[in-house]
Amino acid sequence: MNVTMLPSELFSSWLEWTFQPYLALHIPDGYLNPPVCVVTWAISVGLIALALKRVEAEYKDRTVPLMGVCAAFIFAAQMINFPIPGGTSGHLLGGTLAGAVLGPWAGSLVMVAVFIVQGFLFQDGGISVMGANIFNMGLIGTFGGYYLFQAIRQAIGQDKLPGMVIGTAVASWVSVVVAAAICAFQLAISGTTPLAVALTAMVGWHVLIGIGEALITVATVAYIWRTRPDLFYRPPRKPRASTLHHLSSR
Amino acid sequence: MLLLHIGGVRLDVDSHKQTSWHDLTPQIRISCVLLMVLAIALTPNGRWWTWAIYGVGILGVLLASRVTFSVLLKRFAVELSFVGVILLGTLFRDGGEVLWQWGWLRITTTGLTVLGSVTLKAGLSLLLLNLLVLTTPIPVLLQALGALRVPPLLVAILASMYRYIGVLIEEFNSMQRAAVSRNLMSNRRWHRLVIGNAIGALFIRTYERGERVHYAMLSRGYDGLPHLRKMPKNQRRDILALTSTALLALLGQAVYLK
Repeated sequence: MNVTMLPSELFSSWLEWTFQPYLALHIPDGYLNPPVCVVTWAISVGLIALALKRVEAEYKDRTVPLMGVCAAFIFAAQMINFPIPGGTSGHLLGGTLAGAVLGPWAGSLVMVAVFIVQGFLFQDGGISVMGANIFNMGLIGTFGGYYLFQAIRQAIGQDKLPGMVIGTAVASWVSVVVAAAICAFQLAISGTTPLAVALTAMVGWHVLIGIGEALITVATVAYIWRTRPDLFYRPPRKPRASTLHHLSSR
Repeated sequence: MLLLHIGGVRLDVDSHKQTSWHDLTPQIRISCVLLMVLAIALTPNGRWWTWAIYGVGILGVLLASRVTFSVLLKRFAVELSFVGVILLGTLFRDGGEVLWQWGWLRITTTGLTVLGSVTLKAGLSLLLLNLLVLTTPIPVLLQALGALRVPPLLVAILASMYRYIGVLIEEFNSMQRAAVSRNLMSNRRWHRLVIGNAIGALFIRTYERGERVHYAMLSRGYDGLPHLRKMPKNQRRDILALTSTALLALLGQAVYLK
């Protein structure tokens, strides 16, 4: 899994990665106190169990290969850096994207798989706090992101591109900022950082990060809309004008 | 994830060695590590002796497992630099005596205690988890999760995910090379648009790959039930290892029981 890069590029990307505020969303071990860990773990285990059941009922024997490659896709997409307005660079969290293309249950299952592999194999986020990470980014980021997106999309028009674009833009920005705020509250409740410091640092950064997230999610979703709209969890119903009309007039 | 970018990521470099740590079954290794990580991370701030005891225990296991220290330390340093960024927020807080003040910035005893405790907790946990992934092949590690009552479906998804991460990263890199060689990444707005399109294209390819994989699995007799590899049974030394880990965890906590 060697990522080929030039040395200079490597160094600059090292700087960006080291100072990347995103990592504040992957809480390491020891940052949260036992009550917060236990509560978030309990909620996350429930979410995982429900999601597994729902996804297996929906995808049947396609579950393992499809969820596996989609989780690998989110993992790969999270490694891609892109410039965000404001000068720094950021990368995708992918919760809303996963929700929009896979639906709330499969989307959050995929995100859960990503967090488990990141925490367990790459030490990106701790084990004792994995419940909190899953809660923030899987439940709030993906589940919340999906329903916000779907509500906006339905208000504007289920089958229209603007509904899709505005829905994903708003939902991905909001989900990132809300996840950051909840993470700040968890840190404050655990007594690790004072609430004011945590909130300003986390929310302040993620307001910017969220813009990057929204731009990339919109670009991605618009591309899928143009090429394979049938892949969306709730695909748009397009009037299949030309061919049908042609046949019926004959 | 930074590990992946540096290219210095090496999992599973020491799994072929034969030591008393490697003799333990994978599921017992996971249980021991998880037990210790929980004990370390859930200790209240400021209990230095507890972590000193745990630290000695961890050092003993590291030495016994003959893990390659250069690789371990490189990974550890990178991961700790991650952790460090968030830590600064813990320093400037109220409570306790003021040790140093400059404008509204001040360092207090409480701040220092929290900073020291959290750093220690994060560092010790990282050492243990690194030991685990350096000494155990990843597929075996995932299968061992199944032996620990993680739902087989989830384990199968994780295993299939792990298999395709490298493939998808390589696929994205080739797309990115194609875009760079056509000079599409020169301007920031274009850069974002191209990346967004590439991610969209990668998703479509991924979904199609998933369907191909599904057919390939069906044609080889897959019936929708994920099968887990049989893991070796626990023996006396495994029980012994788990018991001594639990004892160490309790001993560390008992220091402050008065």
